[in-house]
Amino acid sequence: MRGKMKKIRVGAGSAFWGDMLEPAVELVEKGEIDYIGFDHLAELTLSILQRVRAKDPTKGYIPDIIPWMKAILPPAWEKGCKVITNAGGANPEQAAEEVIKIARDLGMKGMKIGVVTGDDVFPKLNELCDKGMKFPNLDTGEEDLDRIKDRIVAANAYTGSDSVIDALKQGAHVVIAGRISDNALYVAPVMYEFDWDFTEPFVDKIASAITTGHIIECAEGCTGGMSNIWQAVPEPWKIGFPIAEFYENGETIISKAPDTGGLICEWTIKEHLVYEVLDPRNYIMPDGVADFTSVKLKEMGKNRVKVSQAKGKSRPDQLKVCIGFKDGFIGEAQIFFPWPDALEKAKRAANIVKERFDMINLEAEDVRFDFLGVNAILGETVPIKDLDYNEVGLRVAARAQSFEEANKVRREITHLWTISSVGAHMGVPSKPRPVISLWPTLIPRDEVTPEFVMKEV
Amino acid sequence: MKKRVRLEEISFARSGDKGDICSAGLIAKTSRAYKTMVDEVTPEKIKRHFGSMVKGSVELYPMPRVECLHVVLRNALGGGATKTLRYDQTGKAMGQAILRMEVEVEEDVLTEARQTMERIYHKYGKAWG
Repeated sequence: MRGKMKKIRVGAGSAFWGDMLEPAVELVEKGEIDYIGFDHLAELTLSILQRVRAKDPTKGYIPDIIPWMKAILPPAWEKGCKVITNAGGANPEQAAEEVIKIARDLGMKGMKIGVVTGDDVFPKLNELCDKGMKFPNLDTGEEDLDRIKDRIVAANAYTGSDSVIDALKQGAHVVIAGRISDNALYVAPVMYEFDWDFTEPFVDKIASAITTGHIIECAEGCTGGMSNIWQAVPEPWKIGFPIAEFYENGETIISKAPDTGGLICEWTIKEHLVYEVLDPRNYIMPDGVADFTSVKLKEMGKNRVKVSQAKGKSRPDQLKVCIGFKDGFIGEAQIFFPWPDALEKAKRAANIVKERFDMINLEAEDVRFDFLGVNAILGETVPIKDLDYNEVGLRVAARAQSFEEANKVRREITHLWTISSVGAHMGVPSKPRPVISLWPTLIPRDEVTPEFVMKEV
Repeated sequence: MKKRVRLEEISFARSGDKGDICSAGLIAKTSRAYKTMVDEVTPEKIKRHFGSMVKGSVELYPMPRVECLHVVLRNALGGGATKTLRYDQTGKAMGQAILRMEVEVEEDVLTEARQTMERIYHKYGKAWG
């Protein structure tokens, strides 16, 4: 049975794996929401999770799903709020098993859990390559995968709302997916409740849902987190996560739960409208294409902003695929120098490390030196000023194909402690980390078949 | 009378990553500041400002309805967040770096833009500092 709502309230429960739990619980308890979405996946995450699953077939989902669902399911079940999450990661089936155990322990008999899979295209990549399909790298322009093929650890398509909608139609209370796009977590419930499909009359409405989904999908990103006007943002330690109230005409109001910190105003919404966007006229998602230049924003009172007038285009025939492949190791270490002459000491230390790297024949693809507190994040856009610094850090990083080469960074920085200048101090240097490089590419939609199975507690 | 000031005087910014691409939205502090920004900020100037940090092209997309100028910097993050050696792996500070660029702004446009923070504090309250 399809929903009959004239408006639907959807909350965004997390921006990334590692986000705060309390604001999500608060949303369900006090936000009067019909749905809550949880995005836990960044571009790299699936590669990490695939490697975890390769070592232990009973893992590979976002481990946070266990404490999160223990806290979220009781108020969600009580209030009839449905939960949609991509925390299934590289193993949605197993994640569902874990959630079923939790729900059973909590006595939620009859709870239906939809498991959405099909985003993992790694198993059929070889077959497609053998058929002559090419997967050019959208970032570098490199034409095909040949060079990296034997180093691939994950290949996942960003899928759309289709299977989530199917799961909701069959009464799912919780939907656990892998790499569905963050955006689809929010588009799916709207399309389901308003009975929209992918035909022409709904294109602009879906574009509206995509736009609002984009604004709220990083949770605190639109409620005053990371803000230019951070001094006007109250109580960030208890920041409220966003609620989007969708209307059938495509308009939405973005707000947050009462008595929470954070700030929603035209500025914080604009900040997130432009966040991680390529061409704003064509914000391409699996469910459609939104034109952010058509969007109108209007403050509707305290912590309320209306989003309207979005225009769009039909969903694309191709889906984005993110391929992760093993690409060596990064060694990184830092050491701080105190006043007096802190910057001069740091420069001298950099010079010493360069000489040492020459002496021991460091075989690195890339080496980098930064002065922390001086130019580490603004780089070449700032001059290195000759000031009377209290302290300056030297950071050295190198990327190499082997762990041993990358580890030379740690060893050589450690030597600075004893062979550079007076007062040098470092924290605990960490061991080299493996690099997973990403290969963004496209795949025809027809080659990806998202599926869902329903489980019952 | 025009004054040479940093872009920060008339604009906010938020930046982030998509692979090796950095996207940075410039958010004008007033309507007239938006017009000035569209005239003054060019791909060439941004490219020069970043030097070797941005290896690919710079694209600009005006968003007049929300008074933002969107900047896309290609091959700009040292290979992308997972592989780069940069401290700012995801380009979060790149937007702030753009705000250090110098632009020519009419004095009254500048005065009005400078009042924006006061208007924001007046409207939403000041929570810190």
